[in-house]
Amino acid sequence: MTAFIGGLLHPLLVSAHVMAVLALALLLGQQAPGRRRQALFVYVAAVIAGLGAIALAVVPVLAGEALLMLALLCGGLVALARPVPELLGWVLAGGTGAALALDSPPAALSLSEANVTLVGTAVGAALLLAVLAESAARLRRNWQRIGARILGSWIAASAVLVLALRLVR
Amino acid sequence: MQVDLSLYAGKGNIGYAAVMMRAIFSIILILLLLVSPALAHSGSMTGGFVGGLAHPAFGPDHVAAMVAVGLWGAFLGAPAIYTLPVVFPLVMAFGGVVGIVGLPLPGVEVGIAASAAVLGLMVALAAKPPLWITAVIVGAFAIFHGHAHGAELPPGADALAYSAGFVIATGALHLAGIGFGLLARWPAGRVAVRAAGGAIAFAGLMFLGRLA
Repeated sequence: MTAFIGGLLHPLLVSAHVMAVLALALLLGQQAPGRRRQALFVYVAAVIAGLGAIALAVVPVLAGEALLMLALLCGGLVALARPVPELLGWVLAGGTGAALALDSPPAALSLSEANVTLVGTAVGAALLLAVLAESAARLRRNWQRIGARILGSWIAASAVLVLALRLVR
Repeated sequence: MQVDLSLYAGKGNIGYAAVMMRAIFSIILILLLLVSPALAHSGSMTGGFVGGLAHPAFGPDHVAAMVAVGLWGAFLGAPAIYTLPVVFPLVMAFGGVVGIVGLPLPGVEVGIAASAAVLGLMVALAAKPPLWITAVIVGAFAIFHGHAHGAELPPGADALAYSAGFVIATGALHLAGIGFGLLARWPAGRVAVRAAGGAIAFAGLMFLGRLA
């Protein structure tokens, strides 16, 4: 049970994960409900695929950097507040899900514990985006939409700085 | 206690505004002159969210410029009121990357001090250029602010929290400026906002003078 809870809370405890999911959620909140649900489905599928790869002992490379890059893109698109093409929405959702999963290797002692942790991470990551995206979709007042755009620009700014820091230093 | 209201008598909002303007101008000026701009962008910073949050707040030249961005945005109204706080962090991040990469940018401290002087002056003069010109002016100065922050961004695990902290602090300073700038809806408030802009411009000139 502890391993499951640990996995469940993992996306909430890593600031880069929270930031990337929040940026994606704000972006999906700006889209039509149908597109939002499709992107959420793609995201969940990508999370499961990514965690499956971790379970198969795939060693991720630059997953954290990819997540920051996706946070930058999503945050920038939120700031622009323009409708996103369907395919781009899928790519961003799938990419974020996969990068988040690949950046979440469990530090478990046994294989069964590790698998339970991965299941917890999948549930936590899916719930986090679902809750945030549906909340973002309810930001209908003008000032709320403006606030979302400003938040998107902040996320993009933070992501680009950290990305540069990681790649340069 | 008897209060002498003769100062306001017959002058309506203008008399009140003049008093308000003088008071606000004096308070801001005293606060800004009590601190040294040299504190803003020198020395090493501790990592983490709190370190990032505190960094802009303890740089008076940065504070003055950020508040001026908010004031100007509020003064110009929609869409500048939300465009400027969106443009600034994005361009600031670009300047930050330039700083992190190590590309030299001449006159960073002068640019930061000048940003307070110019942006404050724009508010004081109630300048209303087209939105794109406003965005270019604000964005140009954002590069200097970003470069200074980027060059000081600490390496390590706390970098994300640190950068998020100072981006949020910058945004909060914009919001403070916007909050005060919304007073411009009323005649007396308009004078007060312009006075605040004048005080920031004056402080910016003082910062520039100390750098010379």
